[in-house]
Amino acid sequence: MRILVVEDEPTLAAQLAECIKSVGYVVDVAHNGVDGHFMGETEPYDAIVLDIGLPQMDGITVLKKWRASGRTLPVLILTARDTWREKVAGIDAGADDYLTKPFHMEELLARLRALIRRAGGHASTEFVCGPLTLDTRSSRASVDGTALALTSHEYRVLAYLMHHLGEIVSRAELTEHIYAQDFDRDSNTVEVFIARLRKKLPPGLIETVRGLGYRLNKAQ
Amino acid sequence: MKIAFLRNSLRIRLLAGTLVWIVISMTVAGWGLGQLFHQHVEAQFDVELKNHLDQLTAQLILDEQNQTQVRLLPSDPRLNKPLSGLYWQIDRIAAAGEQPTKAVLRSRSLWDETLAVPADTPADGEIHQHRIEGPQAVALRIVERTVTIDTHSLRLIVAANESLMTGPIADFKGHLWLALGILGMGLTFAASMQVFVGLAPLRSMQDALGRVRHGDARNMEGTFPSEIMPLVNEFNTVLAQNAEVVERARTQAGNLAHALKTPLSVLSNAANVPEKRDDDLARLVTSQVDTVRKQVDYHLSRAQAAASVQVPGMRTAVEPVIQGLVRVMRRVHADRQIEIVLLPDPANLAFRGEEQDLQEMLGNLIDNASKWARSRIEIQVSDESGKFRVSIDDDGKGIAETERDHVLKRGVRADEQVPGTGLGLAISADLARMYGGDLVLAKSSLGGLQVSLILPAV
Repeated sequence: MRILVVEDEPTLAAQLAECIKSVGYVVDVAHNGVDGHFMGETEPYDAIVLDIGLPQMDGITVLKKWRASGRTLPVLILTARDTWREKVAGIDAGADDYLTKPFHMEELLARLRALIRRAGGHASTEFVCGPLTLDTRSSRASVDGTALALTSHEYRVLAYLMHHLGEIVSRAELTEHIYAQDFDRDSNTVEVFIARLRKKLPPGLIETVRGLGYRLNKAQ
Repeated sequence: MKIAFLRNSLRIRLLAGTLVWIVISMTVAGWGLGQLFHQHVEAQFDVELKNHLDQLTAQLILDEQNQTQVRLLPSDPRLNKPLSGLYWQIDRIAAAGEQPTKAVLRSRSLWDETLAVPADTPADGEIHQHRIEGPQAVALRIVERTVTIDTHSLRLIVAANESLMTGPIADFKGHLWLALGILGMGLTFAASMQVFVGLAPLRSMQDALGRVRHGDARNMEGTFPSEIMPLVNEFNTVLAQNAEVVERARTQAGNLAHALKTPLSVLSNAANVPEKRDDDLARLVTSQVDTVRKQVDYHLSRAQAAASVQVPGMRTAVEPVIQGLVRVMRRVHADRQIEIVLLPDPANLAFRGEEQDLQEMLGNLIDNASKWARSRIEIQVSDESGKFRVSIDDDGKGIAETERDHVLKRGVRADEQVPGTGLGLAISADLARMYGGDLVLAKSSLGGLQVSLILPAV
């Protein structure tokens, strides 16, 4: 899962990135509205955390532009002004949820998880595929109740596949969602992660659809 | 009270002033003109009598028998018509040792009556005037003179009914007062029209002000006479300044919130990293940051409302505000699958105050209901004579009757705060009271809490 954080205050932005990374998401940070808008427009994020008070272009405008160009991804807005006017304006501009500063990181993560889950049409924080269970709250995966030891990259690949259960996910899509923007990407490494995952998971769970990508086998 | 009202009404002052002046002018004019006419008619009357007297004097002779004779009788036909009101008579004044003779000669109009003239002997050439009672007890005005022919001393008298003079005068005075009365009424009507037309701009100024007070207009609109326009402009300037002050206060409060809260976020996050979370200092920072946030929210919302409560001309439609908030709740509490029903408000009620304050009050209440409801929230707006009521019902667990007062009073003192409980209800109740409204908690027919917000309507 790849998250964009748009926040102009450097310390808060760093704290947000740190915290979101710690639960297994990939994070990009933008420090002003214009950069944030461009990144949200061009990169395939799974959710965006957007501050309302931004330099160069305010958050509401950025959000409206995304929605106008057809971007439907979940957006969580952060407001410093704890007024309902701002919340109504945010929701009417297309936000999915809001959080008022100062907030607890746990609260932010819970909201973020809920948004991603809702965007995928899932009702629970636990994803199940046959014997495999993925708990997005604790960022853990287990097979038949036995916890799996996964690296952060392996977890990201597995989580993305689980969020798109039954869908074919291309190698390029996986790459975009498990690496941050400035990371030196190499799509071959995805194959390495898939191979390692296959060793840890029951056989046949991850299918390869020739020429298209990978899919988690629901029937398994 | 009534007299004060009369004294305080510009219209009545102007009208009364004009009316007094009209009455005085009419009275003086009526009396003066009457007097003038009276004098004029009297003079004319006397001249006529004297003419008759002169005519009589000129025609007076002594005949061969030494008897007094009038050679040619005066020509006025009234002198020949019995008791016509115009008479003459010649008396003989007694010489030494003689008896005076009354009515040696008289006009035919006297018939056999005699004019009883008071004893008087005008010197030769003098003409005297008297008033006497004549035939049929009618007041007569007479002129007389003494004429001496040879040894005969004669008293020549011409008399006329006074009514011949007073009749036309009374007639004239009647017509005069009627004309003056009509003129006075015309003037009064003209004066009231003038007052009405002249004061009409005041009326439209009052209407314009009323629209401002009712929130239908932001400032006084329309063109007014040049005497009133400066007043209107000044007033509009005051209104604009007021609105500007409120807007500035609001912006500054918002900026302060923004400036405070981002650092608070940083502080709270720094204290909340997993390695340090159980540290005493970290816990202290976390709890104090929370307190600061609540205090800032509480006092900011109060300061903002305090600024706008005093501004006239505010009007906020209630339903759109609720609709906006319901959109937020549906999105934010999407997981909880709560049905939020906004019952239609056919009266299109409006709040006499700032939109943001209404949003603040209702937002807190609807958010609370969304948190506590099990499956359903009903929101209804109703009219309450000069005020309106928004009731928010939920089917949650409600608040026990004994707790309700406490819930509303909570908030201002930091040590009373229960962790995890918002100040929403207390803030809303506070704002409502600043606007002269109220917040009432009751048991809902849905089973949970019913919160009613009562606020002044426009």
